[in-house]
Amino acid sequence: MRKLLMASMIATAASIVAAAALTSDYPKPGSVDRATGLEAWARIYEVASHPRCSNCHVGESGIPMWSGPSYGETRPHGMKIVAGESRIGNETLPCGTCHVKSDRPQTIPHAAPRANGDWQLAPAGAGWFGRSSNWICEQLRDPARNGGMDYLKLANHAGHDVILLWAWSPGPGREPAPYSNAEHRMDIHTWGAAGQPCPPE
Amino acid sequence: MAITLNVNKTEHSVHAPPDTPLLWVLRDELKLTGTKYGCGIAHCGACTVHLDGGPVRSCQVAVGDIGTSPITTIEAVEGPEADAVRQAWKELDVVQCGFCQSGQIMQAIDLLTFEPTPTDGLIDSVMGGNACRCATYVRIRAGIHRAAEILAS
Ligand code: FES
Ligand code: FES
Repeated sequence: MRKLLMASMIATAASIVAAAALTSDYPKPGSVDRATGLEAWARIYEVASHPRCSNCHVGESGIPMWSGPSYGETRPHGMKIVAGESRIGNETLPCGTCHVKSDRPQTIPHAAPRANGDWQLAPAGAGWFGRSSNWICEQLRDPARNGGMDYLKLANHAGHDVILLWAWSPGPGREPAPYSNAEHRMDIHTWGAAGQPCPPE
Repeated sequence: MAITLNVNKTEHSVHAPPDTPLLWVLRDELKLTGTKYGCGIAHCGACTVHLDGGPVRSCQVAVGDIGTSPITTIEAVEGPEADAVRQAWKELDVVQCGFCQSGQIMQAIDLLTFEPTPTDGLIDSVMGGNACRCATYVRIRAGIHRAAEILAS
């Protein structure tokens, strides 16, 4: 028992140290070359275009998407769901009717995903479902199109939005977003420090 | 572990693990079998009840997450919207086998509470999560329009 406790204390300490190292290791603006920045962007794009993220970044339509092994092709959310201007379905059927707010993990396969926050779509302006790497990159580096965020704010948002964090722990039967949330934030910092370079169309 | 739930204006102490779906407690512990099990994964709407005054799929709500929030089931739902839906459903004989209907009715009451004169489009959007194997959709829509008339009169 004591051994186990010790092992878990060491593991916890190690993860705290790792997290601290990661935070202080964020590169300073201008310290990253363009090629490295583009490599970081390629990984950011993998995350942003992954179904766990892009299915809710659908823009003005307000219609979430469904995808996964049991769907075959990606398709609009069943049940005529539209999240509306509220982004939480208040105008019709609130997302929370099925996607209940809970910090208990969803363990029933195929059941409605949930998180400890109001289930919702990304803002209408942050729509990029089906868009190219270049398109999403141009959108994310333009404060006029990304809700006024510089890359530091983007990275911070990526670490704190409860629904966004769900993408890395979506429960049984759903593939998590690639990499880890910490790696994703590091990639945003790296891309930002390189001047937010975008790949050609 | 005992959990206290406020169901239909009565406090009930139930013995269930906190991650037990509300639906199981309603049906198996409290014997409120008007609320139905259709899918258990939020796909059919048969288990719809009102929690804190709004609709939820009770198969998705863990009893340990409810706290003191009031729960209303088909057995005790009341008010002008509920009365109007009851009357309209009878007048138009909306029900076929009935299995989905308690969920349909709970959802319809909520719809009329936030929009007393819904359009066909709004009805379809709000009721889209309530499946009916007997395909009474056309009568459900007519029933909601009739209930809206009753409410307005
Ligand atoms: S039983 Fe809850 S939605 Fe089907
Ligand atoms: S009336 Fe039979 S399932 Fe709806």
